[in-house]
Amino acid sequence: MAPKAKKSAAKTSKAAAPPKVDAGVVKAKEKALRAKKSVVRGTHDTKYRKIRTSVHFRRPKTLKLPRAPKYPRKSVNKTNKLDQYCLIKYPLTTESAMKKIEDNNTLVFIVDKRANKPMIKMAVKKLYDIEVAKVNTLIRPDCEKKAYVRIAPDYDALDIANKIGII
Amino acid sequence: AKVKAKELRGKKKEELLKQLDDLKKELQILRVAKVTGGAAAKLGKIYTVRKSVARVLTVIKQTQKDNLRKFYRKKTHKPKDLRQKKTRALRRALTPYELSLKSKKELRKQRLYPLRKYAVKE
Repeated sequence: MAPKAKKSAAKTSKAAAPPKVDAGVVKAKEKALRAKKSVVRGTHDTKYRKIRTSVHFRRPKTLKLPRAPKYPRKSVNKTNKLDQYCLIKYPLTTESAMKKIEDNNTLVFIVDKRANKPMIKMAVKKLYDIEVAKVNTLIRPDCEKKAYVRIAPDYDALDIANKIGII
Repeated sequence: AKVKAKELRGKKKEELLKQLDDLKKELQILRVAKVTGGAAAKLGKIYTVRKSVARVLTVIKQTQKDNLRKFYRKKTHKPKDLRQKKTRALRRALTPYELSLKSKKELRKQRLYPLRKYAVKE
């Protein structure tokens, strides 16, 4: 009885001892095999499908870098050829223009055809140091632009006309 | 006062711009005089002032371009208006180096069969 028990005990001990070591070895082996398999098969083995929450495919947003040119395409930018001096050509001195100066506190100018009302307003302000109430424009039949520049009430058109030299 | 380009070239940009401003103001006054029936002297002056304005602008532009060319002289990438104009076809043509490149076959032929010079014995 004793030897049998001993034998069985020995067997069980034997059976018990290797699994402890074996388990660790087996795990390592499995891991190595898995790694080898994935390397051999490559990354295409995985069957991961993205979850799509919409039926439409929207262009994914990519990196947009700002411009950083190696050289400017133009060496010098164009200067503004239509400056205040070019805009306002000359004031009108006709009888009706004179009437406008006296009665309506407005000055009448012949202006470049490409000028618009805000440009005319700014140009008159800069040239004659006055405040402008409003500008009305029309294009004459001889293709010149005429601007009626109404001056603010605290300035006098007659004085300015004298200063310019119209009167 | 006649504006001479020689005198203008030494000046700085701010001075030139200020002179330009003054000339343009004068031109305005002369134009008003033309409308209000000014003296003949004034009307004749319009031409000279206009040309002076042109002269000042020319000098400004020329010195600006000159300085830019100096700045970009050693650089590889120049703005397109500072590069050689030539013609469109010439700009796209092969460079002298690219033209001089020879194939291996050609090089071999050149090496093996150079041009020989003979002398004929009298």
